[in-house]
Amino acid sequence: MNNVFKLISVSLLSLMISFSFANASSGTFKISHDLGFGKDTNLDAITKGRLFQVVIMTQNRLVRKDLKGKVSEELATKWSANADATEWTFNLRKGVKFHDGSDFDAEDVKYSLMRVKDPEIGSPAKKSLSVVTDIEVVDSHTVKMKLSTSFADFPLNLTDYRLRMIPSGSGDTIGQTGIGTGPFMVDKFDAEGTTILKANPNYWEGAPGLAEVHVIAIPDGEARVQALLTGQIDMNRYVQFSQKKIFEGNSKFKTTVIPTGNWRGMVMNTERAPFNDPKVRKAVRLAVDRQELVDVVMGGEAIVSCDTPVAPADQYRLKMKCPQNISKAKKLLAEAGYPNGIEMAIHVSTKEPTWPTIAEVIQQQVAKAGIKAEIVMTPSKSYWNETWMKKDVAMTRWNERSADSVLHEVYHSSAKWNESYYKSSDFDKNLASARAELNFNKRKKAYQNAQKTLWEESGTMIPYHVSKLVVTNSRVKNLDEVEVFSVQWHKVKVD
Amino acid sequence: MLFLICKRIGLGLITLFIVSLITFIGVEVLPGDACTAYLEREAFGAQLEACIKRLGLDIPSYERYISWAYNAMQGNFGYSLSGQMPITEVLGPRVKNSLILASAAIIIGIPTALILGIITALWRDKFPDIIISTIAIFSMTIPEFISATLLILVVAIWLEWLPGIVIVSTDATFLELLPNIILPVIAIAMIMTAHMARMVRSSVIQVMASDYVQMAILKGVPYWKMVFKHVLPNALLPAINVVALTIAWLLGGVVVTEVVFNYPGLGRLVIESISNRDLPVVQALAIILASIYVSINLIADLMTLMLNPRLKSMQIRK
Repeated sequence: MNNVFKLISVSLLSLMISFSFANASSGTFKISHDLGFGKDTNLDAITKGRLFQVVIMTQNRLVRKDLKGKVSEELATKWSANADATEWTFNLRKGVKFHDGSDFDAEDVKYSLMRVKDPEIGSPAKKSLSVVTDIEVVDSHTVKMKLSTSFADFPLNLTDYRLRMIPSGSGDTIGQTGIGTGPFMVDKFDAEGTTILKANPNYWEGAPGLAEVHVIAIPDGEARVQALLTGQIDMNRYVQFSQKKIFEGNSKFKTTVIPTGNWRGMVMNTERAPFNDPKVRKAVRLAVDRQELVDVVMGGEAIVSCDTPVAPADQYRLKMKCPQNISKAKKLLAEAGYPNGIEMAIHVSTKEPTWPTIAEVIQQQVAKAGIKAEIVMTPSKSYWNETWMKKDVAMTRWNERSADSVLHEVYHSSAKWNESYYKSSDFDKNLASARAELNFNKRKKAYQNAQKTLWEESGTMIPYHVSKLVVTNSRVKNLDEVEVFSVQWHKVKVD
Repeated sequence: MLFLICKRIGLGLITLFIVSLITFIGVEVLPGDACTAYLEREAFGAQLEACIKRLGLDIPSYERYISWAYNAMQGNFGYSLSGQMPITEVLGPRVKNSLILASAAIIIGIPTALILGIITALWRDKFPDIIISTIAIFSMTIPEFISATLLILVVAIWLEWLPGIVIVSTDATFLELLPNIILPVIAIAMIMTAHMARMVRSSVIQVMASDYVQMAILKGVPYWKMVFKHVLPNALLPAINVVALTIAWLLGGVVVTEVVFNYPGLGRLVIESISNRDLPVVQALAIILASIYVSINLIADLMTLMLNPRLKSMQIRK
C-alpha cells in the first residue's frame, strides 16, 4: 500500500515538473480593481461598466502607443491615408486567432468599431470614432475607414484603450466572456470576487510569461494598500503619494513614478462678468504659483503646466514657463477696470480629494494680486450636475486624452463639455488646420498655436498634470514603466 | 402571554414601517439620484432621460414608495438599480457571509465574555480583575478601524501568519472563508467580549452583594456551590438582553470592520449601495436589518420571561 502511494506521488511529481518545463508561462500575478460599477461590471470594453483591468489583457486594439507614446502596430500592421486624410486604409495582421479558435479578419474590425457608434449601446467611447462615417471591408485583411473630415492623426484616436477587437457578432455575450486576441483568456469571471485569467499559449506575440492573472475586487482604497503590504496583490496603481514612505526603502516593494495626462484645474466661466474679460482671466492665472501648488498639494510629484491640457509626454505639448507674476496680474486687472481687485467664489467638493486643498492654496496666492477668493463646499454626489458648468468658478478634473481630443472636447466652441464656455474662432481654426495637415511639423505648429491662444485667453487654470505612483511587489519582473494601457502584459513575469 | 406576543409583533411592524419611510425620505432628499451617480459627467440630455425612464425615477416619489412597500410585503424587494439583478439574489450570499462572521464571533466571544466577567467579579479589585478590566476598557474604547488595522499590521504584515484582507468570491463556502475570516472575527470578538464581560462583571457583583447571598454565606453554604447555584443564574439573566443586542449589532452594524477587511457581508453592501445610490438595495437592507433588531429583541424578551418565573407571575397578576 505504502509503495503504491509512493509510486503515485513520484509519478505525479515528475508529471508536474515536466509540465512546468514544457510551458514557458509560470506563476500567478495578482492585481485588484475597485468594483467602481458594482453589479454593472462587465468585460465589454465599450460599455461604462467595463472592467478594464481584464479587457486590456484579453483583447487587442488595431494600434497602440509604444513606450515613447508614438502610434505603433498591434492588430494592424500598416496604415496609410489618401491625400486629404479623409480615407484611411489599414492592413491587418494575418494568422491571428481569437480565444474561441476563430480567425481574426476585416469583418471583426468592422463589427467591433461600428458597434461603438451604435446609438442603442450608447458607448462612452463613441467620441473617439465620431469622425468615422463608414468602414469598408476591402478584403479579408484590409479595411478602409471613411471620415467626415480630414484628420491627419486619426490612428492616434484608435489607440483609445476601449477600442478592442472582438469576434464579429459576439456583442451579446462579450460582457461575460471577454473573448479577444490578447495574451490572456478569461477562465472565470467573477466581478465581485476573483476573476481568473489563464495564459493564451497561441498569443501572436509569443506565449506570455505568466501562467495566470487574478483580478480581485477590493472596493476600499485602504484595503488595497493592506493587500499589497501583505502580498495578497502584486501591483497597486492607486497608491497615494502620502503612502510612498510605507513602501520606499523596503526591498519587498518597488515604487515607480509615472507622468500621466491627468489634470486638475480651476474653471472660470468666460461668459460671466468679470471673467468675460480675457485680461481678468489671465490676471487670475498669472497670480497663481504653480510650483508651490505642486509642492504643497502633490508633495512635488506632478509636472507644472501652463494652462495647457496637453499631457507632458505628448508630442504636441507646448513647452513654456509661467512663473507667478503678481505685478502683471495687478496691471491686467487695472486695465480691465478693476484696480481694486475682484472677488470670486471657488466651488469645490471632495469628489476629487485634492480640490479643497488646491483651492485653499490658490486663495492665499491670488490674495497678493487683490483677488479675494471665497471657497464654497458643495455636495460631491451631485458635483457634475449641479456645480460643474453651473457655477462661475469651479474645480474640474480630466483624465488623459490625446492632444487633439482634449483640445476639442474641452475648448472647441461646439463642444458639449466646453466647461469654461470658451469661444474663439482663431482657436477653432488652428484645430481644424491641424487635423487636415499631413506634414508632422506643420501639424505640431498648429496644435501649439492653439495652446498659445489658450495661455493668452482661456478660462481654465491648469496648474499641473499629476504623476502616478505605481507600487509593485519586487517579485514582479519586466513590467513596463508606462501608463497601464501601454504595458506589454505578455512580457510580465513573477519569481 | 399570547396577548403580549401579539402586541410586541404589532409594535415591531410599526417600527419597520417607520424605518422604511425614514430611509426612503432620507435617500430622496440627498442631492443627486441613481442616474447622476451612475452617469457622472454624462448625466444630461438623452442619456439621462433614458436612464431616468429605465429606473422609473420619473414617477412621483410617493407612488414609488407605495408600490415598493406593496411588493416588499410579499417578499419581493424588486431589482437593484445598477445591476438589474433581483435584490433577493444580491442579498442572499451577503446574509450568509454575515451570519458566518457573526456566528464565529458569538461562539468565541460569549463563552470568553462569561468566563472573564465571572473571574473579574469574584476577584474584584484584585490582580486578575485589574489586568482583565484594563484590557477590556482598552478594546472597548479603541475604535474598530484602528484595532483592525493594528491586527493586520502585526499578524499579517510583520508576522505573516494570516492573510490581511479577505479575498474570496461572494458565494464562497465556509472552508474557503476559513483562513481569511480569522482576523475579522478577532477584531469583532474583541469589542464584543469586552462589552459583555463588563456587563457580566457588574451583574455578578450586584448579586453577590444582595441580602440572600450574604445570608447564604452566613449560613455557611460552600463558596463555589453558592456561586454556581445561587449567584450565576440570577446574575446572567440580564445578560440575555445584552447578548441579543450584540447579535443584532453583529449582523448589521459591523460596517467598518467589513470594509477594512474587504469582507463581502451586509455591512460592505450597505456602503456600496449607498455610494451607488442604489435605493432599492438600501431600502431592502434597512428593512432587513430593522427586522433583525426587532425579532431578536422580541426573542430575548420572551426568553427572559420564560427563564424568570417572577416576571411571568407578575404578568398574570396584571
